[in-house]
Amino acid sequence: MRVITYLEAVREAMQQEMRQNDDVYILGEDIGLYGGAFGVTRGMIEEFGPERVRNTPISESGIAGAAVGSALTGMRPILELQFSDFITIATDQMVNQAAKLRYMYGGKGNVPMVLRTPSGSGTGAAAQHSQSLEAWMTHIPGLKVIQPSTAYDAKGLLKAAIDDANPVVFYEHKLLYGTKSEVPEDLYSIPIGVADVKREGTDITIVATAVMVHKSLEAAKELEKEGISVEVVDPRTLVPLDEETIVKSVAKTGHLVVVHEAVKRGGYGGEIASMIAESEAFDYLDAPIKRLGGVAAPIPYNPELEKLAVPQVPDIIKAVKETLNKA
Amino acid sequence: MAKEIFMPKLSSTMEVGTLLQWLKEEGDPVQVGDPLFEIMTDKINIEVESYEEGVLLKKYYEVDDEVPINTIIGYIGEAGETVPDEPPASEGEEVQEEVDSPKAEKTTMEQEQEELEEVEGQVGKVRATPAARRVARENDLSLETISGSGPKGRIHEQDVLDAVKENAVLITPLAEKMAKDHQLDVRKIEGTGIRGKIEKSDVERYLSSQKVREEEPAERVKLKGLRKAVADKMLESARSIPHVTLTTEVDMTKVIDIRKNLLPIVENETGYRLSFTEIIIKSTAHTLTKHRNINASLIDNEIVYNKAVNIGLAVAVDNGLIVPSIHDADKKGLAELTAVSKTLGKKARDSKLTPAEMTGSTFTISNLGMYAIDGFTPIINPPETAILGVGRITEKPVVVDGNITVRPMMVLSLSFDHRAIDGAPAAAFLTELKETLENPYSLFV
Amino acid sequence: MSKNRLEDLQVEFSHDKLKELYKTMWDIRFFEEKVDEFFAKGMIHGTTHLCVGQEASAVGSCAVLQEEDKITSTHRGHGHCIAKGAEVDRMMAELFGRTTGYCKGKGGSMHIADVDKGNLGANGIVGGGIPLAVGSALTSYMKKLNYVTVCYFGDGATNEGSFHEALNLAAVWNLPVVFICENNQYGMSGPVKDMVKIENISERAKSYGFPGVTIDGNDMIEVMNATNEAVERARSDQGPTLIEMKTYRWKGHSKSDARLYRTREEENEWKEKDPIKRFKDVLIEANVFSEEDAEAIKQAAKQDIENSVTFAQNSPMPTEDDLLTDVYA
Repeated sequence: MRVITYLEAVREAMQQEMRQNDDVYILGEDIGLYGGAFGVTRGMIEEFGPERVRNTPISESGIAGAAVGSALTGMRPILELQFSDFITIATDQMVNQAAKLRYMYGGKGNVPMVLRTPSGSGTGAAAQHSQSLEAWMTHIPGLKVIQPSTAYDAKGLLKAAIDDANPVVFYEHKLLYGTKSEVPEDLYSIPIGVADVKREGTDITIVATAVMVHKSLEAAKELEKEGISVEVVDPRTLVPLDEETIVKSVAKTGHLVVVHEAVKRGGYGGEIASMIAESEAFDYLDAPIKRLGGVAAPIPYNPELEKLAVPQVPDIIKAVKETLNKA
Repeated sequence: MAKEIFMPKLSSTMEVGTLLQWLKEEGDPVQVGDPLFEIMTDKINIEVESYEEGVLLKKYYEVDDEVPINTIIGYIGEAGETVPDEPPASEGEEVQEEVDSPKAEKTTMEQEQEELEEVEGQVGKVRATPAARRVARENDLSLETISGSGPKGRIHEQDVLDAVKENAVLITPLAEKMAKDHQLDVRKIEGTGIRGKIEKSDVERYLSSQKVREEEPAERVKLKGLRKAVADKMLESARSIPHVTLTTEVDMTKVIDIRKNLLPIVENETGYRLSFTEIIIKSTAHTLTKHRNINASLIDNEIVYNKAVNIGLAVAVDNGLIVPSIHDADKKGLAELTAVSKTLGKKARDSKLTPAEMTGSTFTISNLGMYAIDGFTPIINPPETAILGVGRITEKPVVVDGNITVRPMMVLSLSFDHRAIDGAPAAAFLTELKETLENPYSLFV
Repeated sequence: MSKNRLEDLQVEFSHDKLKELYKTMWDIRFFEEKVDEFFAKGMIHGTTHLCVGQEASAVGSCAVLQEEDKITSTHRGHGHCIAKGAEVDRMMAELFGRTTGYCKGKGGSMHIADVDKGNLGANGIVGGGIPLAVGSALTSYMKKLNYVTVCYFGDGATNEGSFHEALNLAAVWNLPVVFICENNQYGMSGPVKDMVKIENISERAKSYGFPGVTIDGNDMIEVMNATNEAVERARSDQGPTLIEMKTYRWKGHSKSDARLYRTREEENEWKEKDPIKRFKDVLIEANVFSEEDAEAIKQAAKQDIENSVTFAQNSPMPTEDDLLTDVYA
């Protein structure tokens, strides 16, 4: 099959959707000729014109609200925020408006929009352009939250997000834009709320998100040499969460390590860990659940410090061994 | 400032001390070195002296209280100083020093760790993972009996599975079904199959044995009377006397010859048939006259070397054992010994012995030669210090002058009280007895 | 010069339509007074923000809209809802928390929406609805639906970032939206003169490159004329307009307001400018109806509100089964 990058997969999903559905359009800052902060929309304004690839003023609150309002009245906007850190400015529109309108209005109206935004560290962009704030959005009833880790998942999940009748926050990881995988040329949809077992194993389950999926797979490869069989589960969507797949895996292996880049304190790993503690899988746990997440500090600029701030492969290996009493 | 009085740790294994008495009262002046209180540890009773000078301000514990080591049990200080009404939380001196020493503020991590350990200490429960608990529950195993391989002894699933395997009962499906139908605990059934596997026949046997047991309950008789007396005496002897038993084999050819020749003579004179027992009594008494240290009693930390040689003869009676005494056995001929021993034996069986006839023995002989017994380790009849056990006479191939020949042989076992008698004199006695029996003509000398 | 005031109205309205508008004003007035009474009696819970005294800005602006036109409203939104055609029965039921309410009892006073009638909802976040209106206008523009979106907000909201972001966005995209600022003199307790340095809030439109006007918000004729002009501009692709309607809320900000920040004299001065009385005078002067007709309309409105209370009180309460419905579509 054809191999393309994660970035191309995101773009392709948008292009193919926009070709078949006139209600779909994209708005955001510098997404026109510039092609977006990371080049995701490059070439799109040429194909779809400035009406459907709407270059906006730098007004995250205004454009988020415009997306919500147009979604409420029949459009299917894709809002690109240049960095997920800027969701702070758009938060009122996402949290108080998009997420709640349908419920507040007694089931009248819905807000079919996608907020696409790159998150994560590793680019040296430092504290205000490197955060992973997805846990905030997972806390809000009415929002769906997606975090794809591969090009294949990105295309299929973005299509599903655009088709969804609800506001969806779609986190793209900057370090993954250049990663490649096999992606079908035709448009396809991956159901929201279905996890993917990225690697099967029997001794321990790692639930990892976004770039940490790849680090966990790397760790699993290393651990295999020592006879440790690691299962890597990628939830792909945080809300709704595919609890069944995770519970099943943990019941099988009896051991769980959760890895994400977001700051560990208050991170989504806590949700996964508590979900397991409350689940059928509890009685199969043969060691305390371990969470790996970012340190409780802003992302630093210095590249060495930046690496230290988030989990790395050796940290994952160590956590696995500790959990298996093999440290 | 008032100084704490701690329950001292006086041995490596001591965990608690029992307070036996306070040697000072609250308000009493105390000098360094004054005995303060007496405690009992797992090893010793000891008076604990004061390390401090002042007034005993407070006693937190009463006599007979068990107090963990390093617990504050009181205070010494100046009169009128205030001390807590309740004993403060226990802290050893080591801990005290650590707290006193200047130290940078603890990091959050260290504090968390300490808090964690505190929690563990308080919980006092088995550390086990949920999976381990589940498997234990499913297999009806108690976690208390399982040792954990994880950090701080945490029990993991594999630990329980290992324990389950150890406890596993091998059983055929049919046997298992039968056991289930009869609600039997398979762990109580003995298996006769490969590696102790329980088979159908094992279950059937168990069921029938259960039936017998149900139909004929075991007879239970309380220990009393003679049985109780024997029991007490044997227990006391076995428990308090360090027994050593020597054995030797005796060629009885000549004794048999003598008995054959003397049998009609003695029977004519006394009406009783001469038995080997009397010849052995005679030989033993004779030998004892030359080994006074064996004819001894141990009474109240004194070894009594008896002048008289009174041979006790163990007689089996209904429900017990009686040892009548043949006084001055060394001075009696075989005819008289035969008459006396037969008379005493009968009286014993008829419960007609007088107290005098039942006491005073200085050495006992226990003869099981009428049974298929070769040798045994007799238990000393206190306060005596030795006893001779006599086995049967049986023909055995023995080497005599380089040739294998068949001889009637008998085993003698001498148990002695090692508190009173050492091995060499006991061995010398038994050797001479053996020689006497093998050359009984010496008795006539 | 002897012409009556009604002749200034630049919109062609039948007498019946004018009488209907007059009744709608009374519907709003009675609705709010009833709500005030029920809150005071503890029969309705939560909080509420009443628009007594502001009936003209709501009724006059909605009068010139078509059914397919849309509005976004504010926390003080009952008037806008009624003016845009909402049924008072279902509004009252909503305040009573009943399943027959516009939001099935789950939205309450601040979130009444009637999407079918083009009411995209009241909004509890000050300034929160302004970008939504821009989005709605964007839909109209992109789908060539030719509807206009009227966006209501108060003087306080014009200091929110969302106001400036939304107005600029509407301007650069030239969207069919009318921004109506109901300047009722106070943002909660904050006097507008202390919060804004300019005389008229409408001046802010200049900085975004579209017209801004300030009118007497208690004058139905001025409200209808100004809105009509702005709607015409919007519908003919001439972009947004900002209309500042000066008015006054007679009641406090919400139910727990002792109104310490203003004088009773000031309140009485504004009550003299009662928009309903002024509209009645205009209609009588123009022989649209008599004093008696006016009284009959008023009584009819009063009866409708009484009926709405009966309807609300006889409506079922939601159950636990309703708790989790409509979180997601």
